[in-house]
Amino acid sequence: MGRRITVHPVIEFQKGAQVTIFYEGKPLPAYDGDTVASALIANGIDVFRQSVNLHRPRGLFCAIGNCSSCLMIIDGVPNTRACITSVHEGMTVEQQLNKGMMP
Amino acid sequence: MTYDIIIVGGGIQGVATAYELAKRGAGKILLLEKTFLTGGSTGSCAAGIRAQFGSPFNVKLMARSLEIFENMAKELECDNDYLELWQGGYLVLAYSEAEFEGLKRNVEVQHTYGLKTNVLSVEEVKKAFPRVNVEGVYGATYHDRDGHADPFHVTFAYAEAGKRLGVEIREWTPVDTLLTENGKITGVRLQDGSSVYAERVLVCAGAWTTSLLKTVGIDLPLWGEKHEILITEPWERLLGPMVISFSRGYYIQQRPHGSFIMGIPPEDPRHWYRPDEFDFSSSIDFLLRMSSEATNVLPFLKGVNVVRQWAGLYEMTPDHHHAIGPLEDISGLWVAAGGSGHGFMFGPVMAEQLSKWMMGEPMDIDLRPLSPDRFKKGALVIEPAVVG
Amino acid sequence: MIETDVLVIGGGPAGMNAALASAQSGAHVLLVDKFQHLGGQLVKQTHKFFGWAEKGAGTRGFNLAKRLSEDVMNNDNVQILLGYEVVGAYRDGTYLAASWSDHITIKAKKLIVCTGAAERMILFENNDMPGVMGAGAVQTLMNEYGVLPAERFLIVGSGNVGVILAYQLLQAGATVDAIVDVLPKLGGAYWVHAAKVQRLGVPLLLGRTVLGVYGNSRVESAITAKVDEKMQPIPGTEKRHDVDAVALAVGLMPLTDIFQMMGVKTVYVPELGGFVPWHDECGRTTNKDIFVAGDAGGIEEATTASIGGTIAGLAAANDLGYQDNMQAVKDNLEALSIFRTSSLSKKVLEGIERMRGELNA
Repeated sequence: MGRRITVHPVIEFQKGAQVTIFYEGKPLPAYDGDTVASALIANGIDVFRQSVNLHRPRGLFCAIGNCSSCLMIIDGVPNTRACITSVHEGMTVEQQLNKGMMP
Repeated sequence: MTYDIIIVGGGIQGVATAYELAKRGAGKILLLEKTFLTGGSTGSCAAGIRAQFGSPFNVKLMARSLEIFENMAKELECDNDYLELWQGGYLVLAYSEAEFEGLKRNVEVQHTYGLKTNVLSVEEVKKAFPRVNVEGVYGATYHDRDGHADPFHVTFAYAEAGKRLGVEIREWTPVDTLLTENGKITGVRLQDGSSVYAERVLVCAGAWTTSLLKTVGIDLPLWGEKHEILITEPWERLLGPMVISFSRGYYIQQRPHGSFIMGIPPEDPRHWYRPDEFDFSSSIDFLLRMSSEATNVLPFLKGVNVVRQWAGLYEMTPDHHHAIGPLEDISGLWVAAGGSGHGFMFGPVMAEQLSKWMMGEPMDIDLRPLSPDRFKKGALVIEPAVVG
Repeated sequence: MIETDVLVIGGGPAGMNAALASAQSGAHVLLVDKFQHLGGQLVKQTHKFFGWAEKGAGTRGFNLAKRLSEDVMNNDNVQILLGYEVVGAYRDGTYLAASWSDHITIKAKKLIVCTGAAERMILFENNDMPGVMGAGAVQTLMNEYGVLPAERFLIVGSGNVGVILAYQLLQAGATVDAIVDVLPKLGGAYWVHAAKVQRLGVPLLLGRTVLGVYGNSRVESAITAKVDEKMQPIPGTEKRHDVDAVALAVGLMPLTDIFQMMGVKTVYVPELGGFVPWHDECGRTTNKDIFVAGDAGGIEEATTASIGGTIAGLAAANDLGYQDNMQAVKDNLEALSIFRTSSLSKKVLEGIERMRGELNA
């Protein structure tokens, strides 16, 4: 989808080293300095979880750790805010479909 | 304005009693609450309900209270989902041989009153509740009808049912003084200076009861003791029972909503008699002690975030039992307070029996041993199975 | 356990300036931010600031953030804790900071709260659908991480944030279908900014609100309608916008959780964005050991947040007896009042006056 901005009149984006994260088992490219949210959205993924009662899709809303719209299962831990969690090599990311469940 | 009965206090005790009295045709009832319904100890309690007590008296009362909780939705015309009734049992863990023996004696009492409490070996605990860490555990008891109900919704359901029967409820109406004339109660004066009158006044004001009774010269040995609670984010159902230890003091339960609610008593409880002394601030000491105990007993809690902690008051009496009934010194003045950490779970049965007492009907469970005058006579009632 | 003189929560313009001012006065400062970098919302500001040269007028926000965070990091009196969020505040001056996997207790003599603000939400159909984002979130993705979350945007709200966002989106190569505002006139934006985006072809639709967004699991279109004088949608005026994102720039509210935990008096002041801690001109709240600076004390903007941070930092160090900062506080207060002479500050000044009056209410 090419959502990474390549040309900008004011900002020079300095991408960190490329890392691979695994979204629902699928490898996706991300860069050091990305949050899980920025990496997923850059890869065209906008739905992060389902609401717990009506199972409506939810994605990023505030991007600063306030609103809980972006809770995901990250490295196996549910209820983790995708917007303030930095990516690392080999990180696993899953959509959260319920309130959080033990394996 | 003149009423038949004025009730002071909008917690479970006052509200449930208002309903039970109205149901028995007690006449015009006015309930006064200084903040909002559940604004005192009811709204800050841990929401647990259990019949696993040790004194025959408490077992009898709670066996009946559980029945009331089980039939409450129908009685109050709401549903169990609203009441958040969850009977996942209480798993009481023993951390020494002596404690286990004590629990077994309690179970014998419970069996006498028809409760089907089980005594579990460590192996049985491991098998039935694999998420519980049994390190240091000698055995446990488990009663499957114990559990949880939402203190807010239970109180609101009683309030709505009471209003349908004509109970008048005034929130944000603090009572300043009880009014008497020739040793007889006549009503209450409100903080705004106005007065309301009634032939009988029932004080159900939790830890605030002491200072109200003081306005008519009565000294009740009832004090507020600060206890703290925390609650986590909601998860899917991971834990059925309330896991509790009397010797270590902790209790941990997952609510129907999915959050885990838990508490542990203060190491150095402070006793307050006057409302201006009450302190509801939270402490980091509680948070750290509680988290460490909780993640030890239920290791999976390590991955669960705490969202909130708060403090509330146990309304304590010298023998940790209610002070309930009429006061000898002032005719027409009644009190129902002093739940000593169990006010919410006892609320429904106390309301039922007290209303019968006030209406001159025979009580199914005689509450007279809990008379508020027992303290000056030295007639205390003893309960072995308590936290803190 | 970390013991410090001054705990500063939030590493945005207010927090960095507060930390620097206290540290330069000789106090030990612990600066905590939940992100892995300092800068707060300054990092995503690409425009040049108006205002006061000393506080970075003429500099682009992200460059200002870089300069300030270098100053903070190079100051030996400032200890920085990144990736931690202060989740507990206790009345004995103990705090709990938690990261994803760890926690630290902190003991501090003074607290300066610079937690900023949260985006407001408005009601419309499917407002929880992915693709509906706070304006700040779009800016964060686009200007910090270089990611455009959509191609065609509808912006709701014609205040400063909405109008600047439109300009930034165009810079980043996105399309802005329109800026809508329920009010019949331009919101709080600087007129020059609004004129600029209109010249670039972004229609400014005033007196119009968003009714709903639609799509299959994410936004694919939005419907807006004109409103009458009672702010009710007028049937027949509906307009469909083929957009894949809606950015809400409908205002901010101060993040005041910590003040409530600490029992500090908060006051409802609409002009300042909602509940704010009562505070004096130095940012001192009703608890003399707790200060506020920046949006957490009332929604304003980065320059005033910076000056406010400096004042709170100076005052905290002064109260601790490190050095006499009263003259410096006075100079900064003067700068602040000069900055606030613009007509856009009128509302804020009214709000501050209303708040001050509420102490004994």
